Amino acid sequence: MKIAFINGSPKPAESASEIIINALQARVGQGADSITCNAIKQSRAEIMESLAGSPALVLVFPLYVDGIPSHLLRLLDGIQADIAGAAAPGAKLYAVVNNGFYEGRQNGIALEMLQNFCARAGLAWAGGLGVGSGGMVFAAPIGHGPMKNLGKALDALAANIRGGTAAGTCSVEPNFPKFLYTAAVHLGWRLQAKRNGLKPRDIKTSR
Amino acid sequence: MAKTLILHDLPQSEAEALLSNLWAGCTVFSASPAVHPCIGCFGCWIKTPGKCVIDDRGAGFLTLLPAQDEVVLLSRMVFGGVSPDIKAVLDRSIGFMLPYFCDRQGEMHHARRFDAAPRFRYVFYGPDITPEEKATAQKLAAANALNFGAERWSVQFYQSAQAGAEALA
Repeated sequence: MKIAFINGSPKPAESASEIIINALQARVGQGADSITCNAIKQSRAEIMESLAGSPALVLVFPLYVDGIPSHLLRLLDGIQADIAGAAAPGAKLYAVVNNGFYEGRQNGIALEMLQNFCARAGLAWAGGLGVGSGGMVFAAPIGHGPMKNLGKALDALAANIRGGTAAGTCSVEPNFPKFLYTAAVHLGWRLQAKRNGLKPRDIKTSR
Repeated sequence: MAKTLILHDLPQSEAEALLSNLWAGCTVFSASPAVHPCIGCFGCWIKTPGKCVIDDRGAGFLTLLPAQDEVVLLSRMVFGGVSPDIKAVLDRSIGFMLPYFCDRQGEMHHARRFDAAPRFRYVFYGPDITPEEKATAQKLAAANALNFGAERWSVQFYQSAQAGAEALA
């Protein structure tokens, strides 16, 4: 069974989306004919070619301003008329959206937009997962420690992708307290600013 | 007089025809032709705080935002949200907020960089906007307002860009 993953992160490398795709591919198993496209690096034609004949499409991307990043939105807008004809008949779309806020449910609007995309494109919306505190995939391996919940959610999603069944829409938070996540992220911003030669107070400039 | 910033995705010829007489005194920002997409570098938070590091006209919208009383987004409806051109501008404007988190209505959001935020008025146009897309757009506007620290927002739907533009007169 062919499964086409689309990485919708605008980052050329080291994205949370890439880590999530790798984790999903490991869970889908060896038997699957898995292919990964990249919405920022590849042309629309190259991506359409990769999706050809696939019964399962899996979009993985970060939440940008409560929605789909513009480069990925442009791709979806451009392929809506042709994608159903290129993919296998009755092809299903699954999605994983990750955000920097703690709550995974804040990805719900982007998932709804994908459902609206499916209605226009003639694809079957098979549901997806909203991942809160997505950046934590860099802090611990998926399936372990603070990423245990995410591991379980991806296990369930992979089983649905493999079986060709609808996944429904759900969200997941890390096995890590919100106040500690907040403190860690705030410290991270200050350290990154320092590396750029800024003082912590410079981050709050309003000039 | 209230300051209004209009962000639209109309091609230049259409914008000249539809917008020339409507908004004298307002600032008009065209999302078309498309600006460079956000590259997810967070430079606007930790390198040049409050400014996008990509050096093209797309960085200009963020610099205009703080002075506004109202922002109007005249956008083609795409899947219950704004068009790719409008989205490219919005994605480049998250430096309006701080990277730090705060709690609003029991959820995590970004803290304000500025004391006040403009109200957001969404004017969506499209010949066949579905009820589902309208419902998504209402949620999007509320979430955007919450995340940009705006206390007021509104959403309107029209069948054409011309009807949307005329409603703003």
